[in-house]
Amino acid sequence: MADITFVMISVFTVGCAIASLELRSLIYGSISLMGSLLGIAFFFLLLDSPFVAMFQVAVYVGSIAVLILFTVMLVKRELIFNKIEDPKRKYAGLVLMLVLITGMGSVIIDSGLKSVDTNTTPIDFGEIGEDFLTYYWPALIIMALILSSSITGALVLARREDIENEQHSD
Amino acid sequence: MSTIAPKFRLGYFIKSLLDNIFWIIILLTLIGIPAIQVALFFIDLPVIDGELLTPFLALTWLADPSRTLPIVKTLMQTDFFKIAVFPGFGFAALLAAGTIFIERKLLAKLQLRVGPFYCGKIEGILQLMGDGLKLISKEIIIPAKADKPIFWVAPLLFVGTAAAFIALIPVSPGWVIADLDVGLLAFFAIIGFFPIITVLSSWSANSKFPFIGGIRALHQMVSFEIPLILSLLGIVILTGSLNLSEIVESQYNFPWIIFMPIGAIVFFIAMLAELERIPFDLPEAESEIVAGWLTEFSGMMYGLVQLGSYLKLYAFAALFVVLFLGGWNGPMIIPQFPQEIITDGIELGPISVTIPGLPLFTPEMLNGTFWFTIKTVSVIFFILIPRGVFPRIRIDLLLHIGWYKLIGLAFVNIFISLSLLYAGVLGPGGMML
Repeated sequence: MADITFVMISVFTVGCAIASLELRSLIYGSISLMGSLLGIAFFFLLLDSPFVAMFQVAVYVGSIAVLILFTVMLVKRELIFNKIEDPKRKYAGLVLMLVLITGMGSVIIDSGLKSVDTNTTPIDFGEIGEDFLTYYWPALIIMALILSSSITGALVLARREDIENEQHSD
Repeated sequence: MSTIAPKFRLGYFIKSLLDNIFWIIILLTLIGIPAIQVALFFIDLPVIDGELLTPFLALTWLADPSRTLPIVKTLMQTDFFKIAVFPGFGFAALLAAGTIFIERKLLAKLQLRVGPFYCGKIEGILQLMGDGLKLISKEIIIPAKADKPIFWVAPLLFVGTAAAFIALIPVSPGWVIADLDVGLLAFFAIIGFFPIITVLSSWSANSKFPFIGGIRALHQMVSFEIPLILSLLGIVILTGSLNLSEIVESQYNFPWIIFMPIGAIVFFIAMLAELERIPFDLPEAESEIVAGWLTEFSGMMYGLVQLGSYLKLYAFAALFVVLFLGGWNGPMIIPQFPQEIITDGIELGPISVTIPGLPLFTPEMLNGTFWFTIKTVSVIFFILIPRGVFPRIRIDLLLHIGWYKLIGLAFVNIFISLSLLYAGVLGPGGMML
């Protein structure tokens, strides 16, 4: 039963990924990108990790896809349907994809994935949090610093004093 | 008296209904029953428990409560019942419909108007039914240059996402459709879909007012999601769980609003913005941009979007109740089911009937539903009241509130809950859990 689900989700994810590259309309392309990100969330659900799946949906579908949609909608309508085609690029892309797939596939197959026991209980997300606070705490602090500095930077960049003074003068 | 149908009288309508019923009974007795009798000659009836299953026996079985009640009780335990009727769509749609009517009457009273008055004899009580019939019977008009697939799908997706939100709400102990371990995260994931649907539908209408409304909705929802999520982290820190049922159970002694009033206020304001309610109704500002992102919707598509937004309102109010007001917890006011009915059966004069399967609902469930409904309705009331009081605010002030004030207050709330946790007052290992 899980195999059928797995195959269906794989077809959905890969199909959406191909569609997001090949569709002429940028809006439909970004919608299918959203579909492929959702498919990855379904994979996480299949792997018994709903915590990661929900974060995948919240972050990638809820935020990044919105960002892409927003950017696409601000593009001029003529540019959305403009066709830039170069056969050399296409073949180079195909070759690159084949190289990547063989390389990553050989690494994954060689990594002992076949001998993984699939009947273990799902990992509790509380353990992930504990690991973060004990063994991985430097990584957590570095991530927090980077995030907070980038948020501060974004706020500083977005601040426009001329407009603000004008609005608060009255 | 209506000007559209001046001859219409409720008495005539009821009389025509009674006439129809009279003729149906006459025709059934003269033609229908003889026809059934003739047909029974040619049909082989099944034999069950040594008895021939005649139509009369089948009707007797159907009317016998000792046979039907267990069936009803099994039906109530199924997922279908939960999704369609009780904690799910039926319950939520009933509350949402009540909200629409109450809102119109309440606003009218606040503004010294009459409100819905003519539809139905008492205070326009049938107005909602009339509106529904009107929306269903109207033509669906799609703009010629619209992107049709997205435009058709958007209202359905909106209702579907609101329904997925409702599935997470625990109404009373054990009565929840999807009891996820990561329920609160699922909520964060679901509210991320609303801006996508809004902006896609507004883009696909290919018209300027929906697009302006959609961009406004996107700005508003994306920036208010952040304080919305941050204001709930204090509860997660103190409860140590993301499961909504466990969060409700943790408030058995005190609701979290006592310890985190700042978080509750931030959540409430962010909730108003997510719901596009006045004073944050910029996406559908009807006095500036026609109807915002709903401008091009017509007929039942508009009805679906309205249904979805009121379901969303119910779901947000219910989530506020679950997280801050203690959910189903409350004093026990429902009396226990009399034990002798289960053991001895019901005595009606000379006969006594033992009915298996009673009681249908436990008193805990009824009590929980009662307190949950009372609290949810009062939160909905507080969501409705600003509409009669406040004007719409400017979009830069809105974003300023969201990014500067609410996020800061949400962090203050997180620090309060952290200090409560590390002081050992509350939380895992604290005094009250």
